[in-house]
Amino acid sequence: MFSKILVANRGEIALRIIRACKEIGVRTVAVYSEPDANSPHVHLADEAVCIGGAAASQSYLNIPAIISAAEITDVDAIHPGYGFLAENAHFAEICQSCQIKFIGPSPHAIRQMGDKVAARETARKAGVPIVPGTSDPIKDKDEALKAAKKLKYPVIIKASAGGGGRGMRVCHNEVRLVSALMTAQHEAEAAFGNPAVYLEKYIEKPKHIEFQILADSHGHIIHLHERDCTIQRRHQKLVEEAPSPSVDWKLRKKMGDVAIKAARAVNYVNAGTIEFLLDTDGRFYFLEMNTRVQVEHGITELITGIDIVKEQIRIAAGEKLTVRKQDKVPLRGHALECRINAEDPAKDFAPCPGVIERYNSPGGPGVRLDSHVYSGYKVLPYYDSMIGKLMTHGRNRGEAISIMQRALDEFIVEPIKTTIPIHKEILKSPIFRRGQMYTDFIPRLIGEWGDKNADESALAPAEKER
Amino acid sequence: MNLKEMKELLQLMSENGLTEIELEKDGLKIRLRKGVSGIEQTYVQDARPPASAPRPAEAAESREAARAAASAAKIATIKSPMVGTFYAAPAPDAPPFVQVGSSIEAGQVICIIEAMKLMNEIKSEVRGRVVEVLVNNGDPVEFGQPLFRVE
Repeated sequence: MFSKILVANRGEIALRIIRACKEIGVRTVAVYSEPDANSPHVHLADEAVCIGGAAASQSYLNIPAIISAAEITDVDAIHPGYGFLAENAHFAEICQSCQIKFIGPSPHAIRQMGDKVAARETARKAGVPIVPGTSDPIKDKDEALKAAKKLKYPVIIKASAGGGGRGMRVCHNEVRLVSALMTAQHEAEAAFGNPAVYLEKYIEKPKHIEFQILADSHGHIIHLHERDCTIQRRHQKLVEEAPSPSVDWKLRKKMGDVAIKAARAVNYVNAGTIEFLLDTDGRFYFLEMNTRVQVEHGITELITGIDIVKEQIRIAAGEKLTVRKQDKVPLRGHALECRINAEDPAKDFAPCPGVIERYNSPGGPGVRLDSHVYSGYKVLPYYDSMIGKLMTHGRNRGEAISIMQRALDEFIVEPIKTTIPIHKEILKSPIFRRGQMYTDFIPRLIGEWGDKNADESALAPAEKER
Repeated sequence: MNLKEMKELLQLMSENGLTEIELEKDGLKIRLRKGVSGIEQTYVQDARPPASAPRPAEAAESREAARAAASAAKIATIKSPMVGTFYAAPAPDAPPFVQVGSSIEAGQVICIIEAMKLMNEIKSEVRGRVVEVLVNNGDPVEFGQPLFRVE
């Protein structure tokens, strides 16, 4: 086992990793940007090194600074968390060459699955069903029009090097495709440094189902069942649950086996997630693989009792998985997660940085809160707006929902605006309660909710004047 | 407004400790704002235990003190621009680049910070006389850590 690990991240995930390390007796080093000096992960770690200014490029994405910090504190391993450098194959390689263990898969697996076009091809070759689409990046608009005609509209343009919902455009006809192609390429270039885009058939009314994979270096690969992440806004997840109300044991076995097949195809080691789209006919398609621990990993921990972050560390240290046989993976009850973001739902989810003056976190049975904020904490504008993940676990879906509603009522974060009100609406929605959501759920809900709660300042200036 | 004028404006801001400046000239309006640094965040925290690792709080305090001293007696604090190991001299047996009392010019190499096996020469941005050396040879240093005080 490692004696010291550097956590190359911030916020709630840095805290999560440090907590796991403390519990297994591993010393920790936190790195932080100047404005993060008072963040809990900095205080909880055994050592802390300031690595740069506010901008992520100067700090959390600054590879030389992070490696240098790892060297002066003499760590054995680096845990990259999620986002930032977590899926940066180059960073993983540098760790290797500096004799520091990167807690995650190999640089090869990261590259293979990080390039979405290559990932689809890998999946296809392994006999994994993929969403019909182009196998090479699109070169020009004529190629795009030809491919789209073959796939049949609607189609979606996606960035090859992408993720997180950026660089995506749904096109219902030729005119839209031509205009969207260039914009998507520019967006891809700006966000990922690579303008390559590809086309996929756009599956209407899909559900987003993902399987958590754990693989050790001794050849054991298991999945920890699925998560349903259908509730998204602009491709950003808002509410997740495990297991999915739309997956029965037969489908779970089928999809789970396919997920493991995909992971084996790249000799995957450590934690990862295979994402699928499930259509209304019960057909599922490989979407992509995330080669990192995910934001929503906690709900899987709640239903299986397996600590994913500890498993990541143990796998990286060369140990065998705690649970090695698929039929021994527990599935107990039902878990929900609401992502609490410092955003104003009434103003199109505009970010709301600022000081949290009044804070009361929920508690009681069945509640788990992973958060780095506290009373007096200043939410910074430089990073993502997530301030916490509120999770609940009940004997069944109904109980998990009622615990979550109770917990949301207790949760006070003021005066900044948060997504707590929209979560309360989501949980009240009959469609959600019946488990019949599709990925159009949020736009529909927001349309209705927006009309009820329109803020005066959200009106266009001309209207205000009247 | 040309690059030279912009640089002069930035210099003006630095010398006078300004964080924001707005200028209108010949129909051109320009506003320059300095990024937030950890020093400005001296708000009151509640009793979440910052029990271990007093280092970040200490660093913030010493930076505050340095700022106060600077405005009082025109003393500049040279801070580390990177993470690494501080070396006072170009080689283990060589004399140090500077010591207390040394006169330095802007652009002069005052120390080395080793990061990822690379020796980075750190140059002074100010001209003056070294009044204090705040770190020891071989110490690990972090970004923003005060290294020298110069009059």
